[in-house]
Amino acid sequence: MTVMHAQVLAAGDVSGFGHDPWWIMLIKAVAIVVFLMVSVIWAIVWERKVVGWMQLRIGPNRTGPWGLLQSFADAMKMMLKEDLVVKNADKFVLVLAPIVAVVPSFMAWAVIPFGPEVSMFGHRTALQLTDLPVGLLYILAVTSVGIYGFVLSGWASGSTYPLLGGLRSSAQMISYEIAMGLSFAAVFLFSGSMSTSQIVAAQAHTWYVALLPVSFLVYVIAMVGETNRAPFDLPEAEGELVSGYSTEYSSMKFGTFMLAEYINMYTVSAVCATLFLGGWRAPAPITTIWAGANSGWFPLIWFVIKLQIGLFFFIWLRGTLPRFRYDQFMKLGWKVLIPVSLVWLVLVAVVRAMKNEGWQFGRIALWTVGGVLVLLILALVWDAVFRRKPAGGGEPAPEPAFDPMAGGFPVPPLPGQALPPVPRRAPRAQRRAAAARAAEAETGGTDTDDGDGSPSPANAGARSAATTSTTGKGAERDDR
Amino acid sequence: MSGQSFLSTSGTEIAFVLVGIVALGAALLTVTTRQLVHAALWLVVALGALAVEYLLLTAEFVAWVQVLIYVGAVVVLLLFGLMLTRAPIGPSPDADSRHRPLAAAVAVAAAALLVTVVADAFRTTWITLRPGAGSAEANGIGLFRAWVLPFEALSVLLLAALVGAIVLSRRRAARPGVHEEADD
Amino acid sequence: MSATAVAAPAVHSLWTTAAAAPIHAPKIEYAQLSPILVVLGAAVAGILVEAFVPRRARYGTQLAVTLIGLAGAFAAVVGLAATGYATTKADLAAMGSIAVDGPSLFLQGTLILVTAVGVLAIAERGLEPQSREVPHVDAFAPQAAAVPGSEDEKAAARAGWSTTEVFPLTLFALSGMLVFPAAGDLLTLFIGLEILSLPLYLMCALARRRRLLSQESAVKYFLLGAFASAFFLFGTALLYGYAGTLDLGGIAKVVTGDAAPNAALNASAHGDALLLIGGAMIVMGLLFKVGAVPFHAWTPDVYQGAPTPITGFMAAATKVAAFGALLRLLYVALPEMRWDWRPVMWGVAILTMALGAIVAVTQTDVKRMLAYSSIAHAGFLLTGVIAGNKQGVSAVLFYLAAYSFVTLGAFAVVTLVRDAGGEATHLSRWDGLGRRSPLVAVTFALFLLAFAGIPLTSGFSGKFAVFSAAAKGGAVPLVVVGVLCSAVAAFFYVRVIVRMFFAEPRADGPSVAVPSALTGTAIAVGAAATLVLGVFPQWAFDLADKASVFIR
Repeated sequence: MTVMHAQVLAAGDVSGFGHDPWWIMLIKAVAIVVFLMVSVIWAIVWERKVVGWMQLRIGPNRTGPWGLLQSFADAMKMMLKEDLVVKNADKFVLVLAPIVAVVPSFMAWAVIPFGPEVSMFGHRTALQLTDLPVGLLYILAVTSVGIYGFVLSGWASGSTYPLLGGLRSSAQMISYEIAMGLSFAAVFLFSGSMSTSQIVAAQAHTWYVALLPVSFLVYVIAMVGETNRAPFDLPEAEGELVSGYSTEYSSMKFGTFMLAEYINMYTVSAVCATLFLGGWRAPAPITTIWAGANSGWFPLIWFVIKLQIGLFFFIWLRGTLPRFRYDQFMKLGWKVLIPVSLVWLVLVAVVRAMKNEGWQFGRIALWTVGGVLVLLILALVWDAVFRRKPAGGGEPAPEPAFDPMAGGFPVPPLPGQALPPVPRRAPRAQRRAAAARAAEAETGGTDTDDGDGSPSPANAGARSAATTSTTGKGAERDDR
Repeated sequence: MSGQSFLSTSGTEIAFVLVGIVALGAALLTVTTRQLVHAALWLVVALGALAVEYLLLTAEFVAWVQVLIYVGAVVVLLLFGLMLTRAPIGPSPDADSRHRPLAAAVAVAAAALLVTVVADAFRTTWITLRPGAGSAEANGIGLFRAWVLPFEALSVLLLAALVGAIVLSRRRAARPGVHEEADD
Repeated sequence: MSATAVAAPAVHSLWTTAAAAPIHAPKIEYAQLSPILVVLGAAVAGILVEAFVPRRARYGTQLAVTLIGLAGAFAAVVGLAATGYATTKADLAAMGSIAVDGPSLFLQGTLILVTAVGVLAIAERGLEPQSREVPHVDAFAPQAAAVPGSEDEKAAARAGWSTTEVFPLTLFALSGMLVFPAAGDLLTLFIGLEILSLPLYLMCALARRRRLLSQESAVKYFLLGAFASAFFLFGTALLYGYAGTLDLGGIAKVVTGDAAPNAALNASAHGDALLLIGGAMIVMGLLFKVGAVPFHAWTPDVYQGAPTPITGFMAAATKVAAFGALLRLLYVALPEMRWDWRPVMWGVAILTMALGAIVAVTQTDVKRMLAYSSIAHAGFLLTGVIAGNKQGVSAVLFYLAAYSFVTLGAFAVVTLVRDAGGEATHLSRWDGLGRRSPLVAVTFALFLLAFAGIPLTSGFSGKFAVFSAAAKGGAVPLVVVGVLCSAVAAFFYVRVIVRMFFAEPRADGPSVAVPSALTGTAIAVGAAATLVLGVFPQWAFDLADKASVFIR
């Protein structure tokens, strides 16, 4: 009979949707698009302002009051720029790519719940375009289609740096999608549904950020990776790839990519809010003071605040963190996020199974915490007993000489290390003297035009500097 | 099952046929286009159209998984592979094979056989679609009750594939003269 | 749930979501699945060994884990058989996915033994030339990622690297093979097929010597295997369309009319084409794995290119598993279709025997010759399948057991005959081997005689069994063709023996490496099985006979 019960639940899942008249659906769809466009316009100014403050600048302040109209100026500029199409490009795909990038980012919003049921022109309807029993699967699927925009733009440009950017983008998004999906799975285990509205409903009392903190952390890291934003903005790393996949884009084609990027940021923030931060629900202190905070149109406010917090987080990251190196980034995804998510998911599933068996909270907590503690102690014992000690007992191994190209990458020195001397030109006085002597020799009436014939002291000096530098390098190699 | 006839077509059926035509056309273009990356893109269209067909048959879970896995991962990896090796812009005639007519003949024969067999078998059979038959829950119950052993066996297959991929692709730091490193 | 809420109101808010109604847990008979589970456990343990055991200790640990796992699995099979699961208690396990019955247990036992012997040959590390720098290495590529012929590869070979992942991969392949002949439905059958194939595709690419050939063979095997899998899947879909079920027993019931077919088909009932074409496509997929004409094209190339220990394992074990599955499909799902599939199988069997035997005559490479010989043997086995009676089943079971040990032994001997370039597989290089290494040559001759079906070897007992079963089943012309093909086949086997014993040895001929105890044991077991099953076959016949009833 439990199965029957579940089926009834499933059937009742999304019963509130699909009954709206067409014009309400249209209003909602248009409203979402307008909301997104306004949000993006706001986000661009906001980002420039915030980054400006973080860098102790003022940021845009010329266009409109407090620089608020800066986005319109930017948009006008972009539209008026020449729309270049490079000669070597695959023109059709070049134009297709930004569209492919931007359309899925809009589509994902179809299942995001903005609020509870409200009255709209006499109709009761939820503040959500539609709902699917597999809503989050839909979001994952749709955003994964967005990858094509970045990959194809890189390829279609017919040039090297964009191609590398596109490659990076596809690898990055596929890698981080796995961790993201795994963090979703923990939420599904607790909500018992993949529908966004059901997940929000399931967080009526406790937000999942408190219940599933590890999933939340993994998701937050993965969402930055998914949106190609700093510190994971490797596909467009200007220091390495000029501008990555968008190098050959200009005018509104480039603008479309920007639009997609900002909407994607909002999308992942919305998903974050929906999955972990209670969706449109007001935070705890407000609901205790004000009972009506979670009904009517008010939840829209909480939802927008949560979105803006998400956006601010993105901007904050961009303002503070340096870009990851590509291999470190991949290592983080595959060797940290995915294993951590897997272990965490097993833990969540165990707790969930205990709960389904009707265990009490205290007992579940005892067993899980106890189990984790036992594992930790075992690991500690293993470390203490079997881990090989570094040879030489207490004597610390001598520091290896600083290698400025360790692992094939230029690396800065750590504290206590010094850069090897860089071969330098001779001091200016010496050079000047040498030049004067050479000129003297030339004007001195010797019948040779060949200035190089006689070994001038300047040349000798330069040569000796060169030899010392090479021998220095050679000695260093031997050290290694 | 009864009481339906082919003359009363609903919007779903018309959409099904139209999307089917899209899938077929995209599949044909996939194998006939002379541009490698375009072939992959047409494959995306074909797979996406298939997902829409699933959706129209009320199998929403399978449909979105199809988009997520095939469109979102498999073909992206395919493109990734193409770009890592060679992804020329424009036609690549050297990728063509002399066996084109033969392959076409085999494909046409196989398609004709399958279409004839299925069409002949089901003729005027009418299957009423039941909403919820393709839901995540129905799939889950099917997978974890009746098909639990094949399902778990598939995870074994994936594990074996993973090990195999590592065996084929891993490089140890090449340091000739050092026989055995202590560990990886 | 309500009890929880009442008992712990303080934490109510943490536990708000009602425990979603769980689906009823499926019934899994772990004891009856234990052979498969033990092998899988050993495989997973092998992966953990790869991850955590220091490289220096891995080889020994892997070998131990593998052999212990195989021993445990074999004990499980024997235990199940002894407690009557082969006969009286035979049943479908794991929601109908696995049939635990006589043929399953017999084939699983055979497969585990074959794998154990195969693993001994795979683990051999005494044959490659050694030096002070290069320690004992096996027959597998030191670094599969290195481009063949590159400096990278040479460096890896010089460093004496070796990998041990083949052990878990072998166990994975075995687990698929254990599932394959025991599958109770088409889906499990397909997944078993994939699990057994994928590790084999991989291991074919891992040869230490002649790596281009090896990689080519792996790609060929993979592509053609994928093609065959596609056929298999199409067939599965069509059969499902026909019967509305994937269970082999259920399909049989629909065929006989005992059960209602697919609800959708009730109205129109024109499903015979679905049944015929679907069945044909599935059988095609299986015949590909078996290596029957016209789906044999991959066999010679793959057998030649793969590392020889893998070739031996593959030739022996795949054939056992695939014939088991073919038997189950034809005898459980499609017995009522006998009058439809038998004529086709007649043609396939005749073609397979004839082509295998005749083309083998022209071969100049030992491994290719053995490949064509395996094709011919697939034909002989098919005559037993065609018999369509209980005796046919037991004959095929016996033949498979006998043939697989001969094959393993023969390929193990091939690994011993070596020159500077690795194994000397060209037949001309084997001239006069009997004069220089009589023991090896005599052993190989024994295996060849068993292949040819000379009395007092297991090959004779097996051929006798399948031919008499086929004759009893009314396939006398097929038996005549089979005997004729055996005669042709005997010609090229004897030709090799003549070359080994009566030709002048070449001055620059290959040397015979002295194997370690591992390959030695493998060859000894193969030879012993060949002789015992040839001289005293009765007990094995009885065993196979007892195990020849399929559960439905």
